Amino acid sequence: MVQRQDGLDDSFHALADRTRRGILERLGRQEASVSELAEQFDMTLTGMKKHIRVLEEAGLVSTEKVGRVRRCRLGPRRLQDETAWIARYQEMLEARLDRLGEFLERDGGEEP
Amino acid sequence: MSEATITTPAEREIHVERVFAAPVARVWQAYTDPDLIGQWWGRGNKITIERMEVERGGRWRFVEHGPEGDNGFEGRYREVSPQERIVQTFEWDGMPGHVIVETAEFTDLGDGRTQVTTTSLFHTAEERDGMLNSGMDVGLNESYAALDALLAKQA
Repeated sequence: MVQRQDGLDDSFHALADRTRRGILERLGRQEASVSELAEQFDMTLTGMKKHIRVLEEAGLVSTEKVGRVRRCRLGPRRLQDETAWIARYQEMLEARLDRLGEFLERDGGEEP
Repeated sequence: MSEATITTPAEREIHVERVFAAPVARVWQAYTDPDLIGQWWGRGNKITIERMEVERGGRWRFVEHGPEGDNGFEGRYREVSPQERIVQTFEWDGMPGHVIVETAEFTDLGDGRTQVTTTSLFHTAEERDGMLNSGMDVGLNESYAALDALLAKQA
């Protein structure tokens, strides 16, 4: 059973390809059209469109058609959902341990 | 006394170490007794313990009642070694499918204090589904390295 979910799974899938990682690095510097990317990565327009679609489905890239040209830039989500979740988890974990410490100090002396 | 380090996202692990001024038996009880865990696990929020079967393979489910609403958390206990170690999975209802494996290790410092070392390993559905064994491991490791680089840029 393979679940496709928004989140780490899509991101990992999208990033499992060297070309797609290269595209993200490239778009991190400056936005570009699909044909510019195809030329830079020495591949067909069709091949580049496939990569862009995978990245777009993962929310890592967003595209916009301007006239006859499709412009690509880093997506709205990037890896923020995942990083936010990991940060939130760590915050919970630490707050929980803070509380545990307070609890143990407060009630520790009452043990027989 | 506390120390926390986040390792690289490529390893997807968070380590937190704490030293508590309580003997290991007391700390163990705080982790495994439903009456006690409810007093700290919710970080000041009330929690409802819907399930807590502290044994290998047992399930747990807590609902935290916070100011912004209820949040459910659940998982299974993978290892329960009294006063030594608990390994359990952790999933938040808000991020279904993202399983964290939490390990808490208890070390008796011999002076009435106890060190708790927690390790939280973030798993993806790919790993859960065993795709690492089907030739994707190279790509995944590369993608972790890429994630690493991207996260470093965002930081």
